[in-house]
Amino acid sequence: MESIAETAQQALALLLGGDAELWEIIGISFKVSLTALAIATPIALSLAFLLAFGRFPGRRLLITGFNTLLSFPAVVVGLTFYILLSRQGPLGEWRLLFTQPAMVIGQIALALPILVAIGHSSLQAIDRRAWETARTLGASLPRAVYSLMREARFGLLGALLAGFGRIIAEVGASMMLGGNILHYTRNIPTAIALETSKGEFAQGIALGLVLLLMAFLLNGTLQFVQGKGRQVA
Amino acid sequence: MTGYRFERIEKRFAHRQILDRVDISLESGACALLCGVNGAGKSTLLRILAGMESPNHALVHAGGRQRRWRRVKRELLSQCIYLHQTPYLFEGSVAYNLTYPLRGPRAEREARVREGLQWSGLSALATHPVHLLSGGERQRVALARAWLRQPAFMLLDEPTSNMDTECRKRTVELLSELKRQGVGLVVATHDAQHFAGIADHTLQLEDGRLSRLHTTPVVLPDKVTSIERARRFTG
Repeated sequence: MESIAETAQQALALLLGGDAELWEIIGISFKVSLTALAIATPIALSLAFLLAFGRFPGRRLLITGFNTLLSFPAVVVGLTFYILLSRQGPLGEWRLLFTQPAMVIGQIALALPILVAIGHSSLQAIDRRAWETARTLGASLPRAVYSLMREARFGLLGALLAGFGRIIAEVGASMMLGGNILHYTRNIPTAIALETSKGEFAQGIALGLVLLLMAFLLNGTLQFVQGKGRQVA
Repeated sequence: MTGYRFERIEKRFAHRQILDRVDISLESGACALLCGVNGAGKSTLLRILAGMESPNHALVHAGGRQRRWRRVKRELLSQCIYLHQTPYLFEGSVAYNLTYPLRGPRAEREARVREGLQWSGLSALATHPVHLLSGGERQRVALARAWLRQPAFMLLDEPTSNMDTECRKRTVELLSELKRQGVGLVVATHDAQHFAGIADHTLQLEDGRLSRLHTTPVVLPDKVTSIERARRFTG
């Protein structure tokens, strides 16, 4: 087995050398996760808004439900949708299993609780006078909602980054729903798992470095944005 | 529309009677002071008058006939502005806040914002972030923002609390200007003497019941709507 330093060197060479297969895997990862985030965000923010400002029976139960789903293992989400999407499953006719849309569905399910839970607490922290002021100044309902989202934007951006961080790095759901098919559903985490099992550590480490770099960038952005938020408050 | 007459307003929170058969009017170009100790229900009454909260019971008369609360509520929301004791300003600059209630082409909005800044004496602070303003300046931004919306009525909750003499004087001047333009004012306050120059009536809210302390009739120079007055004022 090569030394860790040699493997890391090879990994860097793969990354910087523009290895086509490696960059394709990175592209698939971003495509799937950004699509999932784009679909989940409006749904999650609407739910977060309803939970923060609505008064209806079952509201507390829903909040508890979403908070519980935060710790739902990705592999269980994968298993659930695998059963639903498999040939014999209730959604088998859609023929989505082992496709990118199936991965997107799994990642939406994983991102949604994070977006709702963090979005809800960010919106709840906004002064209720903001809503009343918007309405008394003649803002329409959509504009008043937008105004509140704008006031809570630092917290909401934190929710987006946390959601993206969760789904780009998850392996369980992607493996079960995507099937790790080369050039189609192989993303960063499933590729790392495969390459490691084959003993091909260089590509695994290269992809790991991408995830590490992204985690650093996401956290850095979050720190910067939240610091800016504190300055303004 | 010259005003609304509310009769027998009742409001209960849980088992507590906050307002008990309260009669009050919103009149264009008139200023009523609403006095009472903390927790007397002044804010609740103002919020009902602004259409932001529904009473348990109320009869509303407008335009010479009795009206349904649901319809009146919508009208009130569009014609009244309620100003919190500590006004809420949206994050951003003074100019951003003044733009908030405005519609129409950008150039027109910018011109109106300049008028608002001039009216409130805040021209020098146009680009200042609102979180850097003093309490008095924030109140003036809120008043200018409300003025730009051209409301028929303004309901103000303790607009001069925690202000120094100079800020208080400037705020009362702005309210006086609004009144001259035909805006009907209801001001909840602990310090009725500060508003003596602009008040037509002083009302006392105690144990949920409203009583009129004294009346000072004020004759307006002419009978035009607040919107027309605002337009005339801004040219």
